[in-house]
Amino acid sequence: MKIKIEPITGHYGNFNFDGVNHRIYWEEAGQGIPLVCLHTAGSDGRQYRALLNDAKILKNFRVIVFDMPWHGKSSPPEGSKIGHYKLSTKSYISQILGFIDGLELINPVVMGCSIGGRIILHLASDHEEKFRALIGLQSAGHLDPYYDIDWLHRQDVHGGEICGAIAYGLMAPTSPEEERFETMWHYMQGGPGVFKGDLFFYKFDGNIGNKIKEIDNSKCPIFLLTGEYDYSATPEETKSLADTIGVNMIKMKNVGHFPMSENPKEFLKYLYPVLDEIL
Amino acid sequence: MFNQLAEINEIRNSLKIMALNLNANFMISTIDKEYIIKIEKGMVSEVKNGPFIMPSYTFKLTAPLEEWNKFLKAIPKPGSHDLIALLRRKVLKIDGNLHPFMSHLLYFKLLLASLRPKEKI
Repeated sequence: MKIKIEPITGHYGNFNFDGVNHRIYWEEAGQGIPLVCLHTAGSDGRQYRALLNDAKILKNFRVIVFDMPWHGKSSPPEGSKIGHYKLSTKSYISQILGFIDGLELINPVVMGCSIGGRIILHLASDHEEKFRALIGLQSAGHLDPYYDIDWLHRQDVHGGEICGAIAYGLMAPTSPEEERFETMWHYMQGGPGVFKGDLFFYKFDGNIGNKIKEIDNSKCPIFLLTGEYDYSATPEETKSLADTIGVNMIKMKNVGHFPMSENPKEFLKYLYPVLDEIL
Repeated sequence: MFNQLAEINEIRNSLKIMALNLNANFMISTIDKEYIIKIEKGMVSEVKNGPFIMPSYTFKLTAPLEEWNKFLKAIPKPGSHDLIALLRRKVLKIDGNLHPFMSHLLYFKLLLASLRPKEKI
């Protein structure tokens, strides 16, 4: 039987982030302008499987997706212990800049979703000279906790089941069921306490605060796209952010918190014009 | 509106595999009306209609009838499509011993969504 082999290649590499060796896994496809994609809290790079397979994008962009330490096929750093993982703004930025330096990428585009959509704001504020453009999916400047995240890591609750259940609800009921299931499944495969550890950044440490006013959109173009069904980073919150920065917000219909993974077909309709503008 | 939970259909029957060890009574309140739903081994075995004098239940979900109606649309609008979305908008209150609910969160989300017309799992 002849099978269809996808154009994606996977690699492992050892990177020095903040003086500590990290064994990182990444996937890539395509050629041209580097487009580094950042996955959401508690998940991994498989969320970008559609982009990594999209011939139109791969013609002009080298799409690169790495699994953060502790996530997907990337290892926890040396000396790690269960229950002690907490993502900080500083360590998240070190991972991204370290990964880009390690691959010797010049002036890449970075696109991040959720926590990735938050960190691009920090990159825009502090490192804008390094990027050709920044794309935030489901970006919000801050998020007040609306449920008790301690439930995400308890020995008497199955972590995979509860993290999957939380992710499932953040998607649009109109997204294709098979894509919703796969997106949820990635969450069900996360390690103990990893989703909760990422949310430390999302709900506490990564609050952009007044730094948002320091972002100069003329130095590095910023694009903000948010799905209408997201109740974590709502379209209203992204709009407020966009107004402060002085850019347009693109509201995506029929998608929720994971546009590239839960409904790639719908998402790409919105992404193509953005990438055309960046070219 | 919640009495149908005790009626076995294909969707609810398929959910029991997610909660085979779950036995619990929980209450749903629409403010004006109350229901106690009994779950045995992942299946709803009984729905009791209030008013109750001395109700016994493990946890309680309270939202105005209007919000439950929005949640139960075939394709709910953003903000009404998920129990945690209702919580985020502060129109749903969940109290009591939350362990059975949170440890079977997807089950409870899909169980209540099974009341939606033509909702698929």
